[in-house]
Amino acid sequence: MNGFLYGVALQWKLDLRSKSLLVTCYIVPLIFFLLMGGIFTSVMPEMRNTLIQSMIVMSVSMGAFIGLPPSLIETYGSDVKKVYKANGVPIYLGLVTMFLSAFVHLMMNCVIILLLAPILFEAALPVQLPFFLLALAIYIIVSLSIGSVLGLIIKNQAKLTMIAQLVFLPSIMLSGIMFPVELLPDFLETTGRIFPASWGYQLMSDNGFCPEHLWYFMLVFCAAVIICAILLHKQKST
Amino acid sequence: MKDAIQVRELKKSYGSHMILKGLDFQIEKGEIFALLGVNGSGKTTTLECIEGIRKYDSGAITVNGKMGIQLQSSSLPAHIKSMEAVKLFAKWNKTDIDYAMLNGLGIKEIEKKQYMQLSTGQKRRLHLALALIGNPDTIFLDEPTAGLDVEGRRSLHEQIRKLKSHGKTIVLASHDMAEVETLCDRIAILNNGTIVFCGTSSELTDQVGRTYFIHIKTQQGNSTFETDNIEDTLISLLGELKQKKIHVLDIKVNRGTLEQHFIEMAGREAE
Repeated sequence: MNGFLYGVALQWKLDLRSKSLLVTCYIVPLIFFLLMGGIFTSVMPEMRNTLIQSMIVMSVSMGAFIGLPPSLIETYGSDVKKVYKANGVPIYLGLVTMFLSAFVHLMMNCVIILLLAPILFEAALPVQLPFFLLALAIYIIVSLSIGSVLGLIIKNQAKLTMIAQLVFLPSIMLSGIMFPVELLPDFLETTGRIFPASWGYQLMSDNGFCPEHLWYFMLVFCAAVIICAILLHKQKST
Repeated sequence: MKDAIQVRELKKSYGSHMILKGLDFQIEKGEIFALLGVNGSGKTTTLECIEGIRKYDSGAITVNGKMGIQLQSSSLPAHIKSMEAVKLFAKWNKTDIDYAMLNGLGIKEIEKKQYMQLSTGQKRRLHLALALIGNPDTIFLDEPTAGLDVEGRRSLHEQIRKLKSHGKTIVLASHDMAEVETLCDRIAILNNGTIVFCGTSSELTDQVGRTYFIHIKTQQGNSTFETDNIEDTLISLLGELKQKKIHVLDIKVNRGTLEQHFIEMAGREAE
């Protein structure tokens, strides 16, 4: 196994050992799913049609904005980065392995929701499962890319906790997963469109795959990749 | 003998503060070379410029052979196990793991321990092992024994001597003068961004240690005398003691420690 693959596999193990990722990628989202799934479907039975998408948006937002950035700060805001650099490990390794590992963890959590929701709450399964999974993968990748920017830009955990909440809470409240966006005032509805959650929710709720919703994801992902590359280059040439 | 490292006119500034003002020195292959200096004198910056992890403004650095680096402040992910770190670094360096070296550093005993569970000494040993993984020709050790207890220090010194005996070049930055005095072949003293001395410990003594220190232990206690004329002073002191019928238990004469010479050298430059 080469260094990169070993790095990815190792990061996967490290994430499993880290309680914080376990909490943000599995425990809290699944508890939220179990509680809110029961409440939503009994108060508003029609939510069974969108329960899977709603709970997935919540899980991905939490994992990407609250779970991933602290792991990045542990490497890039500390001497770990210097040790990697000094011993021939490329500076991008931490970011790429953490991104891939978080992607797999979030995907697994979403699959758990996808499997449990119909059994526990009689939630409707997506009509076209392959397209749904593709939409989910795109949404996770874009959310993680925003989480990566947060983890590389912010240098301390206390500041990160505050800023991550500023991304996480509007993502949840304004994306339409708790209540229809049509009920929101116009400016909040527009504000909600800034965050990937509302786009992800829409993309996953479409029966089929609507490429016209992809421009937002392309734009955000490209911007995030450029910012991450600049930030890594800056760290490399300090 | 070809130099392991050559540094020419090395300059580095942080903002408007010039931290390195044109350093010139070379390190020979197979020697233990120490960089000494007070806090903020630029030791770590010099090492990081040579190691290639910090950019410098001007000058030239030539390093012959592979480098292994143990940084002053080092860290690894909290949950990584010692052996996992070793494997990760070995794979990136495309090298086989030298289990004899790992055993020598006691990594076997901590191979399943997570980084956050290691003591300071164990962490130092692990970082030294990581620095040695690629079988480097030159090893940089920045404050390697900081925070270690006596046994940890002794064990690390033993490892450093062993590395030298295998022909490795060791570059050491340290505050610990006793450590430098016992381990190093040559030292460079860095003060205010310039090299104020570069040579062996005895050359430094010749340059600044003209004062002799006479330590006399008698039944009445210990006394220390400073003199430039060892012969006359000793004769006169012993004569006086004999006259007073004071019994001498022990006498030591030295020309000061490296620390005293370092302080004098740094003090001269400050003037």
